[in-house]
Amino acid sequence: METKNLVSWEDTLMKCIRCAYCFEGCPVFKELGWEVDGARGKLVIAYGLMTGELEFSDYIAEKIFQCTFCRDCVERCSANVSVPDILEAARADLYEAGYSYESHQQLLSKLENSGNIFGKKLDHPGFTGEKAVLLGCRLLERSEDAEKYLNILEKLGVKSKTFDETCCGMPFAILGDKKRFSIQQDKFKETIIDKDEEIICVCTTCAYFIKNKYPDLKMKYIIDEIVERLPNYKKKIKKLNIKVTYHDPCNVARGLGMVDEPRWLLCEIGAELVEMSTYGKEAGCCGGGGGVLVTDKKLSEKMAENRVHQALDTGADYLVTLCPTCELNLNNAAKEHNGRLEVKNVLDLVWEAMV
Amino acid sequence: MEKVDIKRLTEIAGKDNVRNNPADRYVYGSDSSVHEASAWIVVKPENVLQVQEIVRYANSNKIPVIARGSGSGMSGQAVPINGGIVLDMKKMDKILEISPADGYVRVETGVVDDELNRALKPYGVFYPVAPASSRVATIGGEIANNASGVRSVKYGAVRDSVLGMKVIMANGDLVNLGAKTRVEASGFQLDRLMVGSEGMLGIIVEATLKFVPIPKFRCLSVANFSKLEEAGRAITGIMESGAQPSMLELMDHVAITAVNKTLDLGLPDVEAILMFEADGMVKEAVDFEIDKIKTVCEANGGFGITSSYDLQERTKLFAGRKKLFPALSKYLETHFCTSLADDMAVPYSKMAETARKIHEVAEKNDLIMTAYGHCGSGCMHTKILMQAGEGKQWYHAKKAVEEIYDYVLSIGGTTSAEHGIGLSKAPAFKKEKQDSLPFMHAIKKALDPNNILNPGKLMDAPDDWMTATKLRYHVN
Repeated sequence: METKNLVSWEDTLMKCIRCAYCFEGCPVFKELGWEVDGARGKLVIAYGLMTGELEFSDYIAEKIFQCTFCRDCVERCSANVSVPDILEAARADLYEAGYSYESHQQLLSKLENSGNIFGKKLDHPGFTGEKAVLLGCRLLERSEDAEKYLNILEKLGVKSKTFDETCCGMPFAILGDKKRFSIQQDKFKETIIDKDEEIICVCTTCAYFIKNKYPDLKMKYIIDEIVERLPNYKKKIKKLNIKVTYHDPCNVARGLGMVDEPRWLLCEIGAELVEMSTYGKEAGCCGGGGGVLVTDKKLSEKMAENRVHQALDTGADYLVTLCPTCELNLNNAAKEHNGRLEVKNVLDLVWEAMV
Repeated sequence: MEKVDIKRLTEIAGKDNVRNNPADRYVYGSDSSVHEASAWIVVKPENVLQVQEIVRYANSNKIPVIARGSGSGMSGQAVPINGGIVLDMKKMDKILEISPADGYVRVETGVVDDELNRALKPYGVFYPVAPASSRVATIGGEIANNASGVRSVKYGAVRDSVLGMKVIMANGDLVNLGAKTRVEASGFQLDRLMVGSEGMLGIIVEATLKFVPIPKFRCLSVANFSKLEEAGRAITGIMESGAQPSMLELMDHVAITAVNKTLDLGLPDVEAILMFEADGMVKEAVDFEIDKIKTVCEANGGFGITSSYDLQERTKLFAGRKKLFPALSKYLETHFCTSLADDMAVPYSKMAETARKIHEVAEKNDLIMTAYGHCGSGCMHTKILMQAGEGKQWYHAKKAVEEIYDYVLSIGGTTSAEHGIGLSKAPAFKKEKQDSLPFMHAIKKALDPNNILNPGKLMDAPDDWMTATKLRYHVN
């Protein structure tokens, strides 16, 4: 049994003192309740695989793939143990040993053939300005929304330039296919014509992933750009007078470390913000990340349902967020509540306040 | 594992509450200690009847039963040294009754400390035992270890908050111990016997706990010291002065450095800091206590003292102490933090000397150690930071542990303040309690004749902690 990917994490696995503080906010542990389901349990499994005390099995694959990579555990760990990175390595070892789900293979084949998770050609909106903007496949697929968000930038004085995109490769990496991830990385870099040029990134997942896996690229998250420019546009803003609660996407709050800016933005457009019981860097998970949406849809839906319940408890009319995947998963869960809560992207509200 | 009748356990607890996969057995075989030993099976009971039936089955078949909360213990209490059934108690997490009039709360023992306090908050009261692990520690685990925490200096340890409990004995009988009243003088205090028994005498399934009003004012202060001895002298002075802090914490330079490496707190680069808090319903009373403590600190070389009543500021400041244990892993990239000699209590007047001794022993044995703890209760914590992959470092660690506890016992201290004995502190415990060990054995024999309840711990633990189980670290 080979664990060549996990072996490089041996020191970090020894650094984990197994204090269990990571149980506190782990959404999978909260849902399933066994210690193997929490971050510590998964690290102990990874350690056992690395030392040979455990062997690969379908059950272990199930546990290792049941993580949304929400990074709540990382936030609570003052030993700074990067659980998602270790699980990524464990997934790669499992994948190389033949442990992969049919649903993963279908997704990755689509990605390999089309360059996006939808498996079809996605045209970019054809903006021909000076500033390169990366939309990400979920927004390329929602072409009307993509145009809307680009128009926000236009109104703020950014002349966007869109281009033929291909996936940043995140699904390959998190589902353990390192070989195809490497190929996809090269393809992605090829699409970036000027590597020294700053790119505005609209997708939260791409923004965080690029920051980590493409350290040479200069990426700026769209919210940073909007927050910088909005003060000059302030007089033209129409206050919305709505009550919202904001779901911090993990890649934004815990990944990019951005907690205050989206809230400031909501305040600027006249939204009354009410917080859920968990928010900011300790925000609950939408259940959509880490591949769980395709690995274990039922579990993913339960996590989304929990988050929607937290939102309903606030009495807000809108549950707003920034990540298209959070939006999708939360929207599906909110539909069960007969229109008591509408899920929207913060950028939709910004646009409404601008027109 | 072949000894366990999975079918029977499944009948008792239900299919969804029984796990015997190697991964589960492995994960439930370690905690936050250096030990590791696989469980035979893991069962997650949902109610008292299920616990009773599981224990009856285990007793008939002489199978070990190890109750487990969150497995955050540092001495191996929840490690199934002889295999057996691990009872994961986290599903029994109901708060059964909150009685503001009578001043108690009744809970199932899988309730997490912080969750309990969230439920009590609307009533304006709190359960004051506050271990650093309160975010995950279950009430059952706290009682079984007689835990305490940062506020023990004012509010005491778990034993001071427990009024009564329901316990499943080794034969499966359910017994009520203690009472719901504040005082009770009816015979043997068997509830007290259960507190700190580390799951060896019974499985605690319900607890009646007293609570206290949430103070209106809390002020947290930090004093810096250039010398560790000065901080130690200040601790003695504070307690001697009759001041009533609600928290008095020491952090030495190793602890300060580790916290600064992981949390953006910018603690001063000094040899020691004291973190102290006073609380009360009247601000003037809190000010009075804080001023009194400040004066003692200053008289002993304390400087740069800052104080805050603001919750946000206090939370930020206290985060350094609250997350210290995992942060120690980051002190040196080459060293790993191990829970060895992790906990002891010494007389107040010996605090400074003990802290210095810890560093002396560490240096002598080529290790790094830290001194911190709830010094207002005489509680001193340390950890051994070492290259845990190197075999010879473990022998150094073994020597250091022995030297430290010999010293602690020589100055009138005790082996464990609040973390319990389990496996890794058993040699020192047995040395300290040698005259009362026969009584402990007799009690164990009387209550658990088949030795099924968490066998091989406390007075029954092996004499050599290093070989008691496999070490959880990959040692070359």
